[in-house]
Amino acid sequence: MNIENTQSQMRKGILEFCILSVIRRGEAYPSDIVEEMKAANLNILEGTLYPLLTRLKNAEMLTYRWVESNSGPPRKYFSLTPKGEAFYGELQATWNELTNAVHALTQKI
Amino acid sequence: MKKIININFHSRVIPIEETAYDILQQYVESLRRYFANEEGREEIISDIENRFSELFADKLKKGAACITDDDVNAIIASMGRPEELAAEEVETSAHISPAAGAGGSAGGAGTGGTTGGPQQGYGPAPADEPRRLFRAANDKVLGGVCAGLANYLKLDPAIVRLLFVLITIFWGFGFLLYIILWIVLPTKALPTNARKRLYRNPDDRVIAGVASGIAAYFHIEVWIPRLVFALPLIIGVVTSIFQNIWWHFFRWGGGHILFDGFGGSLVVAYIVLWIVLPEANTATEKLEMRGEKIDLESIKNTVKSDMESFKGRAREMGAEMKESFQNMGQQMGTQIRQNVQNFSAEKTYTRRGGTGIGHAIGVLFKAFFLLIAGLIAFALIMGLIAIAFSGGGLLDLKSYVLDGFWENILTWASFILVLVIPVIALLTWLIRRITGMRSQRHYLGYVFATLWIIGLISFVVLAGMIINNFRARAHTEEDFALVQPSHGNLIIRARQNVHRDYYDDEDWWFGNGWRNGLRHSGFFYSLNDDSVQLNTVQIKVLRSDDSSYHLRVLRGSLGSSANSALDRARQIIFPVSQSDSIIQLPGGFSINREQKFRNQQVIVVVYIPVGKKIMIENSVNRYDWFNLNVGRRHINWEDGRNDYSNDYDDEGFSLQNNYNWNSDVQYIMTADGLQRVNSLGKLGDRPERPEKSERPEKKEKVEAPENPTQPDKGGYRYKTPQAPAKKNNADTPVPKSSTMLPTPHPYRFVLLSSFIYLITDTLVG
Repeated sequence: MNIENTQSQMRKGILEFCILSVIRRGEAYPSDIVEEMKAANLNILEGTLYPLLTRLKNAEMLTYRWVESNSGPPRKYFSLTPKGEAFYGELQATWNELTNAVHALTQKI
Repeated sequence: MKKIININFHSRVIPIEETAYDILQQYVESLRRYFANEEGREEIISDIENRFSELFADKLKKGAACITDDDVNAIIASMGRPEELAAEEVETSAHISPAAGAGGSAGGAGTGGTTGGPQQGYGPAPADEPRRLFRAANDKVLGGVCAGLANYLKLDPAIVRLLFVLITIFWGFGFLLYIILWIVLPTKALPTNARKRLYRNPDDRVIAGVASGIAAYFHIEVWIPRLVFALPLIIGVVTSIFQNIWWHFFRWGGGHILFDGFGGSLVVAYIVLWIVLPEANTATEKLEMRGEKIDLESIKNTVKSDMESFKGRAREMGAEMKESFQNMGQQMGTQIRQNVQNFSAEKTYTRRGGTGIGHAIGVLFKAFFLLIAGLIAFALIMGLIAIAFSGGGLLDLKSYVLDGFWENILTWASFILVLVIPVIALLTWLIRRITGMRSQRHYLGYVFATLWIIGLISFVVLAGMIINNFRARAHTEEDFALVQPSHGNLIIRARQNVHRDYYDDEDWWFGNGWRNGLRHSGFFYSLNDDSVQLNTVQIKVLRSDDSSYHLRVLRGSLGSSANSALDRARQIIFPVSQSDSIIQLPGGFSINREQKFRNQQVIVVVYIPVGKKIMIENSVNRYDWFNLNVGRRHINWEDGRNDYSNDYDDEGFSLQNNYNWNSDVQYIMTADGLQRVNSLGKLGDRPERPEKSERPEKKEKVEAPENPTQPDKGGYRYKTPQAPAKKNNADTPVPKSSTMLPTPHPYRFVLLSSFIYLITDTLVG
């Protein structure tokens, strides 16, 4: 049993939830999401973010539009679709249940 | 000192060290391979590259002169290498599917959601859950049955798929079984079991590393597949060396078929695998190529020891490489294939819902259409293969048709490109579909299409050249010095052919029918290595102007110009001999490869004086007749029932006014024309004896109305003095055509002719 492994497991399970939360607050560009996660001290490999975004987009949870940028090429700004909202809602409910459960369990000791 | 290059990277100009650029490229390439099965691969890669470019720009803005190795490595470290990503991916996928399952089945996500949690959650089925057969929702070609079975049996899906395809091809029930399983089994997102994949091994190769890749896959020594691929070729070479000695053995013994056919398909297989299989370049792929352990549970017990010993040997061979990756491989190899194949929360959900009658009907519908599509595809493949092979048969004749270097080149080009390319393309597609490999080379389709179009063009050019070779017509006339027969009766007989018959005796291609066709009634009654024998000979009967018999031999040929046609006509050797009343004609005439086939023909014209008799023996029935008329725009294909004389008219010679006759019937020339000798006495007894009885199946052709050009020529028909005879006449074959009875065309010739016809048709449009 490897402590790092377990830790990363914990983080990974909530990755999508986190991504969706960031985007839900307003249109976001992948680098924004990365920065925001880093700022929140959630350490992930950036490489996992891009495939996830693409998959979420292909599953119609997300949509994006190109926005011109004054430094460099246009950027992809992602936003949630109604379907993504619903999905997020479910994840949020699960998350709440989980935190409550974990909280209850950890507090007991 | 390092070389710095400027690259345009996602709309930004980046000065970068060449080595750093190499690192970057390698990294992107490894990602490309890693996401090979991912739907939005290009998009993901592009996003990641974009990020790189952005970070590079940041770096430069902060004052860096250029991007260094360290910079790239730092970004790669934060981005994650494929191995690291793989570790993450597995968990995310395990996370997604149970979440969806939980969402669909029960509101309480607690239990379902956590099964993805444990570290070994990627295992085919959690230990506490009984193993069940599912269809794989995430890895499917049709309905995911094979992947599901593979998961259940812990086999590589590609193997199960290949088995299914083989069973379907050879026994047919594979597809039915598949449909039943498709209907019956529930669907579920399953991890794939493919830990091994076929690659080409670039480290140990003779041509392209196909054989050594196969060896690595099956953990056998590399010389085994090499030998399998090479053996037919070696044997082919050896046989061609000893062909003269062992001619009969290999021809008769079936070795011919086995080694030519099998060896040929192995060569094609090698080429297809070469195209289909990727090279194992990265460490990951090399591990995948070998598989980190042999895990085919179903055969484990029986062949375990064998496999172990094989594996031992394989290990020795590749010890170096293996050891260095062994540790990493144990963990990574199991996970590396577990790419999340689709984000299928929704799909899984809806598919679960549809397990009723509706589902079954849906599946049946789908299966029906697939079956139809499959049959069409199968027929196409088979047709192409058949054409390719019979085209091979045609190749025997090609040296008689083709003249010169360019025509040969074009023939090969169009043959290979037009016929073989589609077969290879279809096979490539099929294997890719079966093994679930995605192309990394999108240009392949364009290459195939381009080659095919080049083939078509060369075909058209070739057609033009060939047509040109048949454009002009010429003939020679020669009188045979006939000694007048003593009894006023002339008998014409065609000699039996005594000919070296190697070829058609062993012609396994077209079987007996073809062989018989060759022997008895074909245009080519014999074909061997140096020459082809034609029997396009016609006998015409005319009334002599004086009181003696005359015999004239016309030899005709086509050619690109009147001169070359005349040359060819002169080269026809058709010696006629006479012994008193019997005129012996050769069974045909042969043309060799230099002379070429240009529809050479011989017409024997017999002039009968009034009051003298003639009988043409049955043996002339082996002559056959056809015309190729290259007009200004097209070739007319005639089968000999049309009036030949038209063709020679324009050269000032007329064969009109010739008489129709039946073989084995004695005629007498009268002032009114040719009459049967026995018709004067007991007419109607056996009016059309030989043909009617021998070839009843030709009746309707023979009964066709007489040639329209003939009646108004007047006076050539024998008279039918009595009324009953008229009735007979209705189903009496037009006598003339009986000579060159429409016998079944030899297969190969029909192909040749339709080939020529096709060309002209294409050209003319």
